[in-house]
Amino acid sequence: MAAVVAFTAVALCVAVVGGLVIGPTSIGTWRVVGSLFSHVGIGHDTLSQTQSAIVWQFRAPRMVLGLLAGAMLAVAGGTYQGVFRNPLADPYLLGVAAGAGLGATFAIVNVGHGLTPAWTPLLAFVGAMAAVTVTWLIGGRALRSNVSTLILAGVAVSALLTSAQTFLQQQSGVGSITRVYIWLLGSLASASWSSVWLVLPYVLVCICVCVGAARALDVMSVGEDESRSLGVPVRKVRFVVIAASSLGTAAIVSAVGLIGFVGIIVPHIVRLLVGTSYRRILPISVFFGAAFLVFADTIARTVIAPSELPLGVVTALVGAPVFVVILSLRRPVPV
Amino acid sequence: MSVIVDRLSVNVGSKALVRNVTIEIAAGSWCTVVGPNGAGKTTLVEAIAGLRRPSSGSVSISGSSLTAMNERERARTIALVPQHPVIPSGMSVYDYVALGRVPYHGLFHSASAGDKRVVESVLDRMSLGDFRDRDVFTLSGGERQRMVLGRALAQSTMVIVLDEPTTGLDLRHQMDLLELLKSEVAECNLTVIATLHDLTLAGQFADRLVLLDSGEVVLDGVSAQVIRSDELAVRYGMKLRVVDVDGSDVVVPVRNQSP
Repeated sequence: MAAVVAFTAVALCVAVVGGLVIGPTSIGTWRVVGSLFSHVGIGHDTLSQTQSAIVWQFRAPRMVLGLLAGAMLAVAGGTYQGVFRNPLADPYLLGVAAGAGLGATFAIVNVGHGLTPAWTPLLAFVGAMAAVTVTWLIGGRALRSNVSTLILAGVAVSALLTSAQTFLQQQSGVGSITRVYIWLLGSLASASWSSVWLVLPYVLVCICVCVGAARALDVMSVGEDESRSLGVPVRKVRFVVIAASSLGTAAIVSAVGLIGFVGIIVPHIVRLLVGTSYRRILPISVFFGAAFLVFADTIARTVIAPSELPLGVVTALVGAPVFVVILSLRRPVPV
Repeated sequence: MSVIVDRLSVNVGSKALVRNVTIEIAAGSWCTVVGPNGAGKTTLVEAIAGLRRPSSGSVSISGSSLTAMNERERARTIALVPQHPVIPSGMSVYDYVALGRVPYHGLFHSASAGDKRVVESVLDRMSLGDFRDRDVFTLSGGERQRMVLGRALAQSTMVIVLDEPTTGLDLRHQMDLLELLKSEVAECNLTVIATLHDLTLAGQFADRLVLLDSGEVVLDGVSAQVIRSDELAVRYGMKLRVVDVDGSDVVVPVRNQSP
């Protein structure tokens, strides 16, 4: 456990520094670290004005948004896996991705027809929250007996919204199709401090709620009836953690698009390393997810620079082998 | 603590699973509900444990209505050993038994020194001390049932409900588990409400038996009377003989036709 915490802390530091240092313009690592420390009042900043702008106006917001996205998607995935007691659960399970996809596609294909690009994140967020709400209204009533009904309602809503999104995309011009496709694969390229400040409150509150519910999720591993007999208000806990995971995910998706794989794979990697208790899995997933996504983004923006690889492709390309290696070395741990 | 089940009915859809059941169980006594499969035993004990909302009637413990309590209060009043407990693989035996203290420290605090003392004491009484760090999934059937009983005892309630606690155990382990429970009942003045399929064990361990059929109470009386009643064979739809073995009643099933 201590080794995993130490590894995660080191990985996070390396990811943060790497996110600031690595890029087409070469700036010395120690000068960037010095600049980082000068922001908290230690030492002097030796970067030129241009270098400072590159580090603090381009790389830093991108790195911070990557940290927030990785942390939120990983903790939301872990929470979903706990609340549904289903190892295949990921943050997009209840329709967040399909709803956001439809909202964003609508905004992108209507740019120039009364909408501006600024509408994309807004409509993605509205679409994501609307989709989860509809899923809850359909499947939530059945939660009294069976959580699978909610999952199935999510599958149905996702299928419906994805088909609407595909139709909309297919009817639009070639330019829009490319932009929609790029959005769907997720990217941190358009990150700015304003997007960081916009998602920060949602992400912080939602992460705190999910991590705070870790003990409840541990108790709920004995099933609904037994958790209730142990004094857990199961339905309230379910509602609160599903709402928090979905809201945080919707905020992140609206800012960075659909980044796949992080939400499902990071909690599983952490579970293989630290065991089945959500009191360990969720807090460590926050930091592991953050570091993982910044690493993946650093790879995405440097491998074929000046072009970028889609972030969702890199998370899977890096995450899948890591997962397979850990899976083959450790005994699989059930959810 | 005395338990009063007053004209309790539980319906699922249009089907009445428990009908107008009234039972008064004195503090410190052991009452076992028997009856054929589908009689409504599990539904009845789940309603008594507060997991099913009554369609009508009520359950009260020492005068307090169970439906008026929130989950946490209820979990400090009545504990449940379910028929098919979910065994969360990956959890240690200690952590599993410690779940019984959640109603005391809540979902946002760690276990106190007092909580830990209770868990240690239960592990000791259930002879689980040597398994404390073992994965719950690696235990044998007998050890597993002792652990589930241990979790219920860690709730430190005065009333404990057990739904077929001996399911899947061999004869010796059935007897061991019930003896263990009996000693806890004597030591802590627990009130026990259980369901059991084995009529012999039901008769030997309970102070009182309630025979349930089609959701209704058919017989309610001291164990020796109910065990020797002709009604038992009628409700089970088979021939039964009760034999005295060293002063204990043993219920023996008899085949309808000779082989």
